Amino acid sequence: MHVKNSETQYGAVAQLFHWIIVGLIVTQFILANKVEDLQGLAKIPTLALHKSVGMTIFGLAILRLLWRLANPVPPMPSDTPPWQRVAAHVSHWALYGLLFIIPLFGWLMSSARNFPVSWFKLFTFPDLIAPNRPAYEFFHEAHELLAATLFYIAIVHIAAALKHHFIDRDNVLRRMLPVKLKPPAN
Amino acid sequence: MRNKFTSLLALTLAFGIAVAATQWTLQPKQSKLTFVANQAGAPFEAVFEKFTADIKFDPKDLAGSRFDVKIDLNSVNSSDGERDDTVKGPDLFAVKQWPTGHYVADKFTDKGAGKFSATGKLTLRNVTKDVPLEFTFEDGKDGAWLKGSASLKRLDFGVGQGEWKDTSSVANDVKVKFALLLKK
Repeated sequence: MHVKNSETQYGAVAQLFHWIIVGLIVTQFILANKVEDLQGLAKIPTLALHKSVGMTIFGLAILRLLWRLANPVPPMPSDTPPWQRVAAHVSHWALYGLLFIIPLFGWLMSSARNFPVSWFKLFTFPDLIAPNRPAYEFFHEAHELLAATLFYIAIVHIAAALKHHFIDRDNVLRRMLPVKLKPPAN
Repeated sequence: MRNKFTSLLALTLAFGIAVAATQWTLQPKQSKLTFVANQAGAPFEAVFEKFTADIKFDPKDLAGSRFDVKIDLNSVNSSDGERDDTVKGPDLFAVKQWPTGHYVADKFTDKGAGKFSATGKLTLRNVTKDVPLEFTFEDGKDGAWLKGSASLKRLDFGVGQGEWKDTSSVANDVKVKFALLLKK
């Protein structure tokens, strides 16, 4: 496997970005769920971790997008019907967008409530807006709604990958894995 | 005889006024008293919206100078109602039992270039401890600015009972900052 993308497979950098962010997103859902069941002081460390992981995703998303723009990606299989091409493009760009907007809304929500965001207690991000309860409530709702949207798009994304692998029997899933590609079925 | 008495009286008064440090009047609208606490690594600032400050200060008469500050702890505002309710609650400030914080400083040192330090006592939750201050004093045409800070540990005053004794989420170190506008 190469560092950069080839004509047929994603390179190591793209794969690392993909799978590391997958792991971090799963962590975020687990932490967010955990916070719902906690009260008062107990909330603080779990929320702090959620914010630190969130800002990590935000930073990685920026780097990932830059890498993506600078690197051609393997083309879709030649027999991909137009509706699937559209669905793939729309869902992938939506996922990229959500990787930015969800943590950004989290950052805005924290700012609006004067609970500044610390990155693993090493440094603190500046507040984006002045304290404002209605703004906090808006960004909180939006953050949760967009996270739910991400969840459902991810389900579709995973289902499509599995369809390619088990039904179409092509390399679409394999090429995002550090494995040797199989020759085409036809 | 009357002349001597009058001049002696005038001299005594003049001497008295010269020796007593200036009595200042706080301008509450332009003055600010805040603290900075640390929550999970991130500092946040909260303001005390109501406080009084009886300031007698003269750089040339430090011995006669005195700060007497009374803080309405119920007026704490960290820009978040839920956090303010928690801070005012029984495990932290306990405002229902001890609504006022009291700070008195009466020993001052001139550190040069308009900088001073003071030793004083802060009373919170019925606990009194020494808290030193560092400040600057600048007398201008619009009044005098007294600006400075103090560092303290909240647990020294029992601000943090029960689960709030834990300092891993809310740090023990708290910084108090002030910028007071004083007029004669």
